[in-house]
Amino acid sequence: MKRQTDYGYEIKPVYTPKDVSDISYEKDIGDPGSYPFVRGYYPNGYRDRIWTRRMTAGLGSSRRTNKVLKKYREMGQTQGMLVIHDRPSAMPIDADHPMGRREAGVLGWHGVSLLEFEELMDGIPLIGQSITLLGSSAMSCMRLAYIVALAEKRGIDLKEVHGSVTEYPFCHTFGQTDHMPLDLNIRLWLDSSEFIIRNKIRMRCGILSQHFQESGGNNAQALAVEIGQLKELLGLLVNERGLDFDDVGLLPYELVSIGSRFFEEIAKVRALRRMYARMARETFNAKTEKACQLLISVHTSGRTMTYQQPYNNIARCAIQTLAGAIAGCTAIDNACLDNAHAEPSAFAARMSLNTQHIISDETGVTDVTDPLAGSYFVERLTNEVEDAAYKILQQIEKEGGMIAAVKKGYIHNMMYESARKRQKEIETGERLIVGVNELIIPPEDDDDIPIQSLEASDSEEIAKRIEKWKETRDMSILKDKIAQLYKDAKKDRNHNLMPAIIEAVKAYATAGEIMGVIRMAHGFHYDPLEMIDCPFKLS
Amino acid sequence: MGDRRRIKVLISVIGLDGHFTGAEIVSRYLMDAGMEVVYLGIYQTPEMIVSAAIQESVDVIGISSHASNYDQIGMLLDLMKQNGLNDIPVICGGTIPRQHAETLLKRGVSKIFPPQSSSESIVNYITSIVKR
Repeated sequence: MKRQTDYGYEIKPVYTPKDVSDISYEKDIGDPGSYPFVRGYYPNGYRDRIWTRRMTAGLGSSRRTNKVLKKYREMGQTQGMLVIHDRPSAMPIDADHPMGRREAGVLGWHGVSLLEFEELMDGIPLIGQSITLLGSSAMSCMRLAYIVALAEKRGIDLKEVHGSVTEYPFCHTFGQTDHMPLDLNIRLWLDSSEFIIRNKIRMRCGILSQHFQESGGNNAQALAVEIGQLKELLGLLVNERGLDFDDVGLLPYELVSIGSRFFEEIAKVRALRRMYARMARETFNAKTEKACQLLISVHTSGRTMTYQQPYNNIARCAIQTLAGAIAGCTAIDNACLDNAHAEPSAFAARMSLNTQHIISDETGVTDVTDPLAGSYFVERLTNEVEDAAYKILQQIEKEGGMIAAVKKGYIHNMMYESARKRQKEIETGERLIVGVNELIIPPEDDDDIPIQSLEASDSEEIAKRIEKWKETRDMSILKDKIAQLYKDAKKDRNHNLMPAIIEAVKAYATAGEIMGVIRMAHGFHYDPLEMIDCPFKLS
Repeated sequence: MGDRRRIKVLISVIGLDGHFTGAEIVSRYLMDAGMEVVYLGIYQTPEMIVSAAIQESVDVIGISSHASNYDQIGMLLDLMKQNGLNDIPVICGGTIPRQHAETLLKRGVSKIFPPQSSSESIVNYITSIVKR
């Protein structure tokens, strides 16, 4: 068995004071609540605020996902909800698109219009819990507009809504279905981010390493990519949009992927807090402490969940959730026992939520903040993963920064080589996975688990509903709003499109229509797949 | 096709699926084993896959699928029949639940490799089914 971290540093049989002799507690670690925040942002840790225990939802129609959300609330998920997009809406195309109708509702919620969001949220509070919607960068502006429109309809002050509905522009580089050109995604990302910051909305934007890591990256690479993204994207908000970093610093949150390498995962999160805090101060001259605190959520790692002997994943999920809890985080959503098979069944969701509650309520892990601080091993690992990450970050900067590195394929290559190395280690038995390369049982003896499946007829039903519904809309208002949006989108890059998008969303324009028109204004085909034409006359 | 020395395999992700890592890793396995790989990448429709299979006269089609209603794999098989490509075996890999896997095998998929299948098992299977 290999005794190395996943980024290739040797692990010794024992660690002693010598391994941490170069650390100054005050300067490099600090108490919980003190810069550089290795130990977290709250002096009393979870006693001040327990992490949000939540599960991913989204499959099939909006009404179906709404039922799942209500079920989750019964299962104890009341602090926050998390919904992901289906494939067509992530592109984004509508379900009545020839390709959209084949996969509507696959892997998530078909969130292409305000109607879908209203149905998703029917009977579910918009405030008093965090609202998180994920799964496509291109859709960030749309989701933010849904929040604005629904808050208005419900008579709620927008400032009372919290959560995160926007996300970073790179996710299609990391395996997410999102077919917008990168530069256009960056422009729209700037628009949604600026809108949130200027209106002082308590919404965060997901700038994530999770997709990168789940697609193959290792722990040190994930830190480097995360800091690289933050540096460049937040820099754009400061330099292109003229925003103050003390406001910009309140925008990002990170979803970190936590695998089973228990101590390494904890070290990674501790290092990330320090790296961000130092970047905020040293690169952006952050003046407030808040702007030096990167909000960190945890997703237990889907790629570590095996297809074989799926009940073993309950143990993996528990270990990873414990690591996330010890590392210190604001929310956890678990990949669960059926992750390698399908979207979470009710059984798998209950197991995952219960696992979180067992850890928060039965183990005592919430009593003491950052309990592994001072461990020779963990402090050493924290330094090492940071050291390895800075070296990779230097390479990314040599390539011209994150955007340039993505465009050159440098990041993709890094991810691919890392995935390949890991696969090789599994094939040669250097890394062991129970049920995969040890303690294997014949497939016919494997356990059957409940599967939440989606049939082609479900997708077709969503498509037919949208086709009919589109005809019931007030087309004269909608056409006006679309015309205004097109006009705005033709203006210069710094003209914020959020107001026009919000108006179009309120008139029930769909994602396919809104993003299509924005695409056209930027010289692209209306349809990302170039199969259908724009239904509007634009000038 | 018997005179060609190297086995030619088309690898593609189907539909709107953006998960490319599995397809890329498997492509490399096959190339390392001396096979020729036509890698189509993501956002490929059954129509595009069939057209590429004809143009490239491949021996085997490998489809990567990470969660779906799996209907498009069925559409691909139908389209292959219509185009007289029934003799090209279709193999699938990815997160395909057992119930769906059984349906796909009945519809004519020749083999399904679950996640974490070894490179050896994939290479050996392809070598064994291609008529030399």
